[in-house]
Amino acid sequence: MVPLWMYLVVAAALFCLGVFTVLARRNAVAILMGVELMLNAVNINLVAFWRFVTPATMMGQAFVVFVFVVAAAEAAVGLALIIAIYRRRQSVVADDANLLKW
Amino acid sequence: MTLPFNLDTSLLTLIIFLPAAGSVLLLLMMTLPMSAEGHKVAARWAALGVSLLELLLAVYLFANYDQAAGGFQFEESAPWFALLGSSWHLGVDGLSVMLILLTGILAPLAILISFEIEDRVNLYMALFLFLETGLMGVFASLDLLIFFVFWEIGLVPMYFLINIWGSQNRVYASVKFFLYTMAGSLGLLLSIQLIGLTAGTMDITQLMTFWPAFQGDGGTFLGIGVETVKNLAFLAFFLAFAIKVPIWPFHTWLPDAHTEAPTAGSMILAGVLLKLGAYGFLRLVIPLFPVQAATFSGVIAFLGMAGIILGALAAYGQNDFKRLVAYSSVNHMGFVVLGVAAAAYVYGAAYTGGGGMSPEELESARQSAVLAMNGAAMQMFAHGLSSAGMFLLVGALYHKIHTRDLRQMGGFWVLAPVYGGILIFTSMGSLGLPGLAGFVSEFLVVRGAFAVPAFSLMTLLSMIGLLFTGAYILKAIQKVLHGKPSQEWVDYNRQHHRLEITWREGIAIAPLLALMLLTGLLPNWILPMINTTVTRLFGG
Amino acid sequence: MIDWTNANFLPWLIPVPPLIASALIFLLFNRSWFLTTLTALAATILSWGMSLAVLLRALGLAFGDPLGGSAFSSQIAWMDTGTTQFNIGVLVDPLTAVMLFMVPLAISMIMIYSVGYMANDPRRERFFGYMALFAGAMLTLVVADNLLLLFIGWEVMGFCSYSLIGFWFEKESAHKAGVKAFMTTRVADVIMLIGIVYLFAQAGTLNFRDIFFNHEFLAELASTPALIFGGAISAAGLIGVFLVIGTVGKSAQFPLHVWLPDAMEGPTPVSAMIHAAAMVSAGIYMIIRMYPLLAAGADPHHGIYNAPLMLMAYVGAFTALFAAIIAVAQNDIKRILAYSTISQLGFMMAALGIGAYVAAAFHLITHGIFKALLFMSSGAVIHAMEHGEHHAHAEHHGEHAAPIDVQDIRSMGGLRQRIPVTWWAFLAGGMALAGFPLITAGFWSKDEILAEAWHLGVGGEWFGPAVFVFILLAVAAFLTAFYTTRQLAMVFGGQPRTAAAEHAGFVDPEHPTPAAQAISGFMQGPLLVLAVFAVIAGFVGVHPDFPLLGAIFSPYGNPFHNFVTGTLAEEMPKVAFNWLPVLISFLVALGGIWAGWMVYWRRPLAAGQEDPTKVALDRVSPALYTAMQRKFYLDELYNAAFVRPAQWISDVLVAQIVDRGIIDGVLHFIARAATVIGETFKRFNRVVIDGVGDGIPSGIARFGGWFRQLQSGQVQQYLLMALLSALVIGMVVFVRLIGRG
Repeated sequence: MVPLWMYLVVAAALFCLGVFTVLARRNAVAILMGVELMLNAVNINLVAFWRFVTPATMMGQAFVVFVFVVAAAEAAVGLALIIAIYRRRQSVVADDANLLKW
Repeated sequence: MTLPFNLDTSLLTLIIFLPAAGSVLLLLMMTLPMSAEGHKVAARWAALGVSLLELLLAVYLFANYDQAAGGFQFEESAPWFALLGSSWHLGVDGLSVMLILLTGILAPLAILISFEIEDRVNLYMALFLFLETGLMGVFASLDLLIFFVFWEIGLVPMYFLINIWGSQNRVYASVKFFLYTMAGSLGLLLSIQLIGLTAGTMDITQLMTFWPAFQGDGGTFLGIGVETVKNLAFLAFFLAFAIKVPIWPFHTWLPDAHTEAPTAGSMILAGVLLKLGAYGFLRLVIPLFPVQAATFSGVIAFLGMAGIILGALAAYGQNDFKRLVAYSSVNHMGFVVLGVAAAAYVYGAAYTGGGGMSPEELESARQSAVLAMNGAAMQMFAHGLSSAGMFLLVGALYHKIHTRDLRQMGGFWVLAPVYGGILIFTSMGSLGLPGLAGFVSEFLVVRGAFAVPAFSLMTLLSMIGLLFTGAYILKAIQKVLHGKPSQEWVDYNRQHHRLEITWREGIAIAPLLALMLLTGLLPNWILPMINTTVTRLFGG
Repeated sequence: MIDWTNANFLPWLIPVPPLIASALIFLLFNRSWFLTTLTALAATILSWGMSLAVLLRALGLAFGDPLGGSAFSSQIAWMDTGTTQFNIGVLVDPLTAVMLFMVPLAISMIMIYSVGYMANDPRRERFFGYMALFAGAMLTLVVADNLLLLFIGWEVMGFCSYSLIGFWFEKESAHKAGVKAFMTTRVADVIMLIGIVYLFAQAGTLNFRDIFFNHEFLAELASTPALIFGGAISAAGLIGVFLVIGTVGKSAQFPLHVWLPDAMEGPTPVSAMIHAAAMVSAGIYMIIRMYPLLAAGADPHHGIYNAPLMLMAYVGAFTALFAAIIAVAQNDIKRILAYSTISQLGFMMAALGIGAYVAAAFHLITHGIFKALLFMSSGAVIHAMEHGEHHAHAEHHGEHAAPIDVQDIRSMGGLRQRIPVTWWAFLAGGMALAGFPLITAGFWSKDEILAEAWHLGVGGEWFGPAVFVFILLAVAAFLTAFYTTRQLAMVFGGQPRTAAAEHAGFVDPEHPTPAAQAISGFMQGPLLVLAVFAVIAGFVGVHPDFPLLGAIFSPYGNPFHNFVTGTLAEEMPKVAFNWLPVLISFLVALGGIWAGWMVYWRRPLAAGQEDPTKVALDRVSPALYTAMQRKFYLDELYNAAFVRPAQWISDVLVAQIVDRGIIDGVLHFIARAATVIGETFKRFNRVVIDGVGDGIPSGIARFGGWFRQLQSGQVQQYLLMALLSALVIGMVVFVRLIGRG
C-alpha cells in the first residue's frame, strides 16, 4: 500500500503551491486558482485521513463533498467579483484593488 | 437746630451716602432728553448742588460737635456682617470732624473749578461724588472692615479721574497710583482680617483696648510668637498708610499722580486723600500698636525728616509748576509724619509704663506729644487748604496757557495782577508764613517733636527742609510772576485768552484764602476740637 | 468790654490801624491814589498818636518809680495747647516805650515821604498796601509780650521786605534781590524757630515777663545741658545762640549780611523803613529784649561770658569793621548807606555782647532816626539827579551823552547849592552817623558804647571780648566818619561832575512853583523833622558827670539809662565817667571827618578822576581796593558754595537721580520683575500644563497613524498576515501540546 505520509506530503506540497500562488501572483484569477489548489490539497488530506483512520464512517467523504461545493461556489462568486472589478477598473491585478486601506 | 425727619440720629450715614446718591442721580441724568450742552450744564450744577448740601451737613456736624466733651459722638451702630464681627459702626471725634469739614469744603470748590471740563461731564461728576463718599466713609467709620471698604472705594474713582481726564502721561500715572496704593492695601486687608478674627470683632473702639493687650495663648499665636505676629501686622498697617501719606521713600507715585490728574482731582488728592494715610496712623496704628509704633518711631521720624528735606529739594529742582506743588505735598506731609512719630514714641512709652523716663520727663514728654499731634492734625487741615489752593491756581493757569513749564512763563504779574496777588497769598500760606494757617501747625509740630529728646536733632535737621520750602515757593513765584512778560504772552493775553483770574476761579479760591487767614490768626476756631481729642488720647 | 480810660488796652490798638489799612488798600482802594494815601497816612498817624499816648503814660509812671514802674500788659488766650492755653498779648515796658517813640515817628515820616517819592509810580497803591502791612507787623513786634507774636511780626516783615525789595519786579536784579533777602534771612529764621521752640518747651511759656523775671528758671536753664550738642553748651546757651543767629540774619550781620546791599534795589522809602528804622532794628530789638536769657549764667560786667554773648560781641564787632571797610570803596549812594547800616548794627550787637544793654538800646533808637533820615535824603538826591538827567537831555537836544548811573556818587558833586534842604538834612544825618561830637545824637550813643567797651576792656578790666570790641569799634568809628565825609564831599561838595548833576534839583527861575521843584514838599518835610531829632535826640542820654552838658541834661542821672534799665529785673550798672573814651570818641570822629575832608573836600574830585583812596591803596596792592569794592567776593563765594550746589542737589540729585532713578527705578524693577514672573507662569502654563494635556491625545494620534498602516488594502498582505498568525498560533499550540504530552 501507499503509506499515509506520502499522501500528506503530496497534499502539503499542493497546499504550499497554493499558498505561494495566492501570495505571489498578481492576477486575481491566479489567486483564485491558488485558493482552489489549497482547497484541493485539503481535500486530499481529508480523503487520506478518512481512508487510513476511519474508513468505516462516511464523515470524511461528506466533508470532502462539502468542500467541493463550497470551493465551487466560492470560485463562482470570486470570479464574478473579479469580473465586476474588472469592468470598473479595467485591471485584474490584485494590488490595484486597494481602496479599503487606511 | 435739629434736622427734620429724624435724620439727626443718622447724620453720619447721610453724610456718607449723600454724595453717592448724587452720583447715581448724575448717572441717571444722562438719560434725560437734553442737548449736549444742556447735559453739561445740568450735570455741573447738580453736582455742585449736592456737594454744597454735603458741605452744609459737614458744617452742621462741626457746629454740633461738643468740643468740650470730646470723645466719639454721633455714634451709629447697626448689625452688618455678624459672622466676621463687623458692624455698621460710625462715630466721629475731633479729628474726624475736622477732616470731614475739610472734605466738605474742598469738594464744592473742586467741582466749581471742574466747570471747565467739557468731556463726559456726567461721568466725571458722578465719579467725583462717589469719591467723596469713600472719603467721608473712611473718616466716619469705627469698624475696621467698613474702614477698609471705604478706603478702597476712594481708590477707584480717582483712578478713572486721572486716567480719562488727565494730561499726557495719565495712563502711567493712574496705573502707578492705583497699583501702588493697592499693594499697600493688600497687607492692610490681611492684617485687618487677622485682628478681626482673633478678636472676634472689627469694632475699632473695642479693639483699641483688646488688641494691644492681646497675648495669644501664653505668648504664642498661630504657632509663632504673638509679638512677631503683632510686628508683622504693624508693618502691614504701616506700609499701607505710609504709601498713602506718603512717607519717603514710598512717595514716588505722588508727583506723577498729582501732575497728571485734572485740577479738581489734584485738589482732592492733595487736600484729602493724603490725609487718609495720616488719619490711619492717628486713628489705627498708634492706638492699636503702641509698642511697635514707639519702637519704630525713630525710623518714622527719620523718614519724616527725609520727606521734609528731600521733598523740598525735589520741589526746588522742578521745572513743571504742578510737579513742584506736588512735591510740596511730600514736604508738608513730612511735618505730619514727624508729629505722628513724636506722638507715637511718647504714647508707646506711656503705654509700657514709662519707657525709661522719670515721671517728670514722661509728663513733659506727654505735653510735647500732645502738641506734636495737635500740630500734625492742624498741618493736615492747613495743608489741605493751601495745597488745594495752589493746585487750583496752577490748574487755572494751565487752563489758560496750556503749559506747566516754568521756563516758558514769566512776567505774569503784569498781565494778571489779581491772580498774582492771590498766588502770592496762597504761596505764603504754603510756605508757612506766620499769620496764615501753615505756621501754626508747623510751629506746633516743631515744638512737639523737638522737645522729645530722641527727635531733637532730626527736628533741627528738618529746618533745612523748611529753608528749601522758602526756596521753591519763591522760585515758583519768581518764574511765574516776576520779570517782564515776553511779547508772545502779551499778545496771547490780548488776543487769545486773558490770563487774569476769572470770577469762577476767584469764587472757588476765596473760601480757602479766608480760611487760611482765619486759621492763622485765630487758630482756636478749630484747634480746641483737636486738642480735646488728642489730650484725651494721651490721658490728659 | 474795652475801658478806654484803661491804658492797658491802648497798646492792643497800636498795630491795628496799619493792618486794617493794608487790607483795605489791597482789597478795595487799590484803584484810588487818593483813598490809598489817605488810608495809609491816617492809619500811620493814628498809630503814632496812640504810641505817643502810651509813651507819655509810660514816662509818667516812670517819674514816680525809678525802676520804670510796672509794665502795662494784657493777654488773650490764643491757642489751646493740651491742658493749658497759649496766651498772646501786649506788653509796654520801658524798652517798648522808647521803641514806640522811634518806630512810629520814623514810619510816619517815611510814609509821608513816600507820597512824594512814589507819586509817579504806576503801582503806587500796591506799594502803600505793603508799607502799611509792614508797619503793622513792626508795631506788632514792638508791643508783643511773647516771643511767638514777635516772631510772627518778624516773619511778616520779612515777607513785606521781599515784596517791597522786589517791588519793581520787572527788573531782574530787583526780584532777585528780593529772593536773596528772603532766603538769607530764612536761613537764620528757621534756626531761630528752633530756639523759640526749645525755649517754649523748657519754659512752658514764651511770655517775656514770665521768663525774664524768673531767676531760678534762667539759672536752671543755664546749667542744663542742651538737647543737642549737650556736651558743649547749656540749654540757655543753645537757645541764645539760635536766637542770635536769627538776628545775624535779620540785622544783616556777617556772614548773612549779603542781602542788605542788594536790597537797595527797592524804592528808597523801602530802604529807609525796612533797612534802617524798622526791620533790621527788629533784629537788634529782639536780642535786647531777650538779653536776660542771652546773659543767663554769665555776667559780662564781671568778665564771665557765655556762648551767646561771645557770639554777639565777636560777630558784631567784626561786622562793624568789615562793613565799614567795604563802605569806603562803594560808589553807589545807597550802598554806602547799606553797608553803614550793617556796620552800625554790628556796633549794637557788639555792645550787647559785652553787656552794654542801655548803650545798645540807645544807639538803636538814634540810629533808626538818622539812618532813616540819610536814606530819605539819598532818595531826594536820586530824585534830583533823575530830574537833572532829564533836563540835561532836554537842554542838549539830541546830544548823546553816555547814560549815567544816577545813584553813583562819582556822577554827582556840587549839589549843596542846588538842593539845599536835602544838603542840610544829609549833613545832619551824616554827622550823626559819623558821631560828630556833642551836637549830634549819634555821638552820644556811640560814645556810650565805646565808654562801656573801654571800661570793661582796655581801660580797666581787660575782659577779652570787651578789648576786642573796643578796638574794632573804634577803628570802625573812624572809618565811618571817613566814608560818611567822603560821601558828603562827593555828593554835595565841589563842583558838579556831570551834566545831570549840574541840572539837578532844577528849579525854573521863571516858574518858581513847587511842581517845578525836583523834590516835593512831601519829601522835604520829613527830612527836616528827622534832622531836628538827629541833632537833639542824643541829649536824653548824656552822662551826668559829663562837664557842663551833664548838669544841663541829666541832673537826676542819665534819663535814658534810668528809664530803660527798668525793663530788666536788676538795674544795669552805670559806667563811671571817664575822660579817655570820650577823648577817643572825639578823636575817631573828628579824625575821620578831617581825613575825609582832606582827601575829598579840599581837593574835590573832578569828573573821571580816580578815587584817591583807591590810588593810595593800589600802591599797597591793586587787589586790595578791588576786593573791598567787590565786597570781598562773598556773594560769589556763597553762590559757588551754596546756591549752585543746592540747585544741583535739587535738580539732579534728588529729583532725577534719587526719585526717578533710584526709587522709581526700584518700583519699575519690581514692576518688570512682576511682569517677568507673570510671563514665566504664562509660559509654564502653555508649555508644561497644556503640553501634557495636548500631548497625550497627540501621542495617541501619532501611534494610531503609525499603526493603521497595517491596513494597506492589499488582500495578499492580509492573507499573509493571517497565515503567519495561524502559523504562530499553531506553533504555540503544538509546543504546548508537546510540552504537556
